[in-house]
Amino acid sequence: MSKKAAAPSNRTLASKESTLFKELLSLYENKQLKKGLKTADQILKKYPEHGETLCMKGLVLVHMGRRDEGIELVRKGIRMDLTSHIVWHVFGLIQKGEKKYEEALKSYMQALRFDKENMNLLRDVAQLQTQLRLYDGLVETRHMLLRLRPTVRQHWIALAVAYHLSGNLAEAKKVVVEYEKTLKNVPHYDVEHSEMLLYHVRLLEELEQYSEALTLLDVSAKDRAIVDKTAIMEFRARLLSKLKSEEAEHAWKVLVEHNPECYDYYKGYMSNQNLDLDKNPAEALAVLREFSAQFPKANVPRRLSLSLASGEEFKALAQPYLLSALKKGIPSLFVDVKSLYTDPAKMKCLEDIAESIRQDTSPESSVPSSSSTEPTTYLWSLYFLAQHYSYLSEHTKALDLLDTAMSHTPTLPELYTCRARTLKRAGDFYGASRAMEDARRLDGQDRFLNTKSAKYRMRAGLIDEASALLGLFTKKDAPSPGADLEEMQSLFYLQEEGDAHRRAGKLNLALRKYTAVQRVFDDYEDDQYDFHGYSLRKSTINIYLNVLNWEDHLRSHPSYIKAAIAASRIYVDVFDDPKLASGNVDGNSTDAEKKAKKKAKKAHQKEKEDAAKKAATAAPNNSSNEDKGLDVPFKDEDPDGMKLLSSPEPLELAWKLLQPLTTLAQNNIEVCIAIYDVSIRRKKYLQAAQALARARALDSEYPDLHVRIVHARHFVSSLPEAIPPPVGPVFNETLDKILPEGVALETYNSQYLQTHSTSANAILAAAQASRVLGAPLQEVENLLFTALGDGVQLDIKTALDISNFLKKVKSSRVDELHQALDTKFTISTAFKAPEELAKLRELTVSTNMNGSTEKLDNGTAVPIENEAELGKGVST
Amino acid sequence: MNIRLARPEDLAGMQAGNLVNLPENYLMKFWMYHIMTWPQLSFVAENDKGNIVGYVLAKIDEESEEQGGVIHGHVNSISVLRSYRRLGLAKRLMMLSQDAMYSVYKAKYVSLHVRKSNLAAIGLYRDTLGFEVAEMEKKYYGDGEDAYVMKLYLKNQS
Repeated sequence: MSKKAAAPSNRTLASKESTLFKELLSLYENKQLKKGLKTADQILKKYPEHGETLCMKGLVLVHMGRRDEGIELVRKGIRMDLTSHIVWHVFGLIQKGEKKYEEALKSYMQALRFDKENMNLLRDVAQLQTQLRLYDGLVETRHMLLRLRPTVRQHWIALAVAYHLSGNLAEAKKVVVEYEKTLKNVPHYDVEHSEMLLYHVRLLEELEQYSEALTLLDVSAKDRAIVDKTAIMEFRARLLSKLKSEEAEHAWKVLVEHNPECYDYYKGYMSNQNLDLDKNPAEALAVLREFSAQFPKANVPRRLSLSLASGEEFKALAQPYLLSALKKGIPSLFVDVKSLYTDPAKMKCLEDIAESIRQDTSPESSVPSSSSTEPTTYLWSLYFLAQHYSYLSEHTKALDLLDTAMSHTPTLPELYTCRARTLKRAGDFYGASRAMEDARRLDGQDRFLNTKSAKYRMRAGLIDEASALLGLFTKKDAPSPGADLEEMQSLFYLQEEGDAHRRAGKLNLALRKYTAVQRVFDDYEDDQYDFHGYSLRKSTINIYLNVLNWEDHLRSHPSYIKAAIAASRIYVDVFDDPKLASGNVDGNSTDAEKKAKKKAKKAHQKEKEDAAKKAATAAPNNSSNEDKGLDVPFKDEDPDGMKLLSSPEPLELAWKLLQPLTTLAQNNIEVCIAIYDVSIRRKKYLQAAQALARARALDSEYPDLHVRIVHARHFVSSLPEAIPPPVGPVFNETLDKILPEGVALETYNSQYLQTHSTSANAILAAAQASRVLGAPLQEVENLLFTALGDGVQLDIKTALDISNFLKKVKSSRVDELHQALDTKFTISTAFKAPEELAKLRELTVSTNMNGSTEKLDNGTAVPIENEAELGKGVST
Repeated sequence: MNIRLARPEDLAGMQAGNLVNLPENYLMKFWMYHIMTWPQLSFVAENDKGNIVGYVLAKIDEESEEQGGVIHGHVNSISVLRSYRRLGLAKRLMMLSQDAMYSVYKAKYVSLHVRKSNLAAIGLYRDTLGFEVAEMEKKYYGDGEDAYVMKLYLKNQS
């Protein structure tokens, strides 16, 4: 404020008010909101149109939770004094609170025009520029800050980081070197300085100046200027390898010794020795044998050996590996070795070993029992084999093994979780839920089992019942278990419940959950904001740069991708058939949901009343000083997702979800297909064609892609007039490369079908394609029923997809299909008649709600040794 | 299982593991704050698909002047998915974190809170890692349960 040239007359205050205004600023700094408000009013009494005071009053009001009123004042204040840096600064703060970073930056730049060297403004601008990834601007701002205050050490680091982010590593290095020259008497053992030096080493490594990096590292380590022992060892090994030094081998060994369970260290060692794991597995195995001898307790070298060995050697290594894990009762054994199954010989070998251990340890075994651990070894071998056969879709065999295991030891939850998974795979979702609930009941204190059981209820469509279970571990004062899980950013919950709603046809509620997933990622992105300042003060540069990189790729997370695809499919369906949005407003709520809604409404009403009461009683005392901050609190204005479902622009909502994936998940074929579906309907033809081309490069025979290729060709030929240039010709050219114009689409479709005649997915795709081409319903139906044929690979998931497609085209043969599927999938309940399903549902709900089932009560449990090293885990 | 230092891309997996295992949960910013302030102290265990199956989240604290101003480590949260237990993952995660607390920050001891009823965890800390119960905090947990504060004095482990 001090450096203003002649202030405009409408800003000048009399000396009393001028003092008051300074007071107002400092009251705001200290968040003395109530006093600040009073002071502002005092000024406004005499100067009702004083822009800066109006803005400050508005800002104070927003902090006090009176947002609308406050923002109105701020807007008025700006109008009154357009050349004040204060009014623009205030406006920028408000916009930042609304997460409108771009707008905020504009306001800040405006403010800077009127106060060029204001440190607070410049610092905030730098944070906004980082958040927005405007790195060239960031370099300028950081330069300015350094020029104004060269003695502040963080300004040097901040400039180096800005150069680094803008891709100019050489300048970043220069700044760091200059900065280090300014340092005197750096204390030994200063963690912040140590982090700074580690950043310098990283910079040199990225510049490929390895020997300079190594010298700096060694000198700093010796001086105890770098104190992070592990980082020193890791940098050292990597740099020595890059320098092809003889010392490298030892450096990697030191790391293995430091943490023998870290894969990266073994990989580093091998690659330093030029050992290609695929080309010379024998040598690699010899190395691993040595490590195993040196670290007999380490699992990594033993497990890695299993991946490399083959034939008799594999057998010789696998036998003791399995036996020792079964003796210890390690529940993750099967998951651990499953990745070896890509080699059929290894799979068979593991099966044989496990079967022979089972026979040897069986109570009926002829081999005399020699060790007391054998009953549990037997049990865990049954568990292993059940997982094995379940994985191979030999469901009955798996279930029989589990029955044997349960009669041996009825109290081991893992047996029930395995039964649940097997039944789920076999298509009995209700039975799976009951089995998982049996598991949960064996250890009601375990949240892991609780979550699993809730998940299986959702898979069975028992959404309210799942919520009741989840509520055992969520906050009691939350509006609902789901609300608490959503607030705590549980992606698992949002995804599962969204999917459950989608399967039940409650598209609005599904969209509501998928949108909440999107919001979690928005929050993750916003979370980095404060660290743009904090990390530089702390000098933790390396981790900060890694965090920025993570944030840049945030939405490549599987949860985001799944939710984005699922939601975009709904939006596309709604676009194609708007009736979906209007048809099921309240008819889709279950009784429990209606009750919950009523309850929520009541609670909401009560909350309002309570708040009013509280406000009334609290008014006289100090509580209005409570700072509510500037961030806009999330208000759920669409609790049942109806606004989302009935949006006039479903495709725009879909695109908003998919857009980040165009760069982050290019190699996901489902993403490409979703992008095609949305783009072709948005008339973004280039995007649509590119998505098809990319999908084709990933898997040209992918069934869903086949449908889209036919769709695209058919779409073009049925356009009333050609797509105008420049887009049209490019679109046609791309499409021609995928499927030349002039090929009869019916022929193309039947050729696809012939090539993949044993794949049920391909049959479904061909049926969908012929529907696109306007084939009569009867023909489509006949085609779909061929999926039931003998030579065709059909699984539960595809069978459900076929059933859903039949329903979608309003076929009258759905029941017929279900009967056939029910006969084919003997364990499955998914295709039972509605009355029977209702009964199963009833049975599941009642057994789930009633106490434990009998067979759990009277078993003779074999005590399981060293039960869970970390029972329920620990936390503060 | 692969055991290594926690990286930013592990945070979502750590948060998810915590939500599945324990009743005390935290927002992402809390997880970020810890690894960005003490990037050497938190570790994860991952399976061969790269999924996080266990983690330890830790920090450095300084006692108040009256208490002696001692610098020490504190374990905020540790858990291992039920399906990955008995592999000794929790022990290894703790040892790595303790080692870093000592060598980077010269922490004198490491402390943690544990539910009074969680005998399995108490067993791990006391019998396997050498912790001792230092005091009890009444009604420490949200649901009213008491916590033990357990401590282990650190010395060079390697």
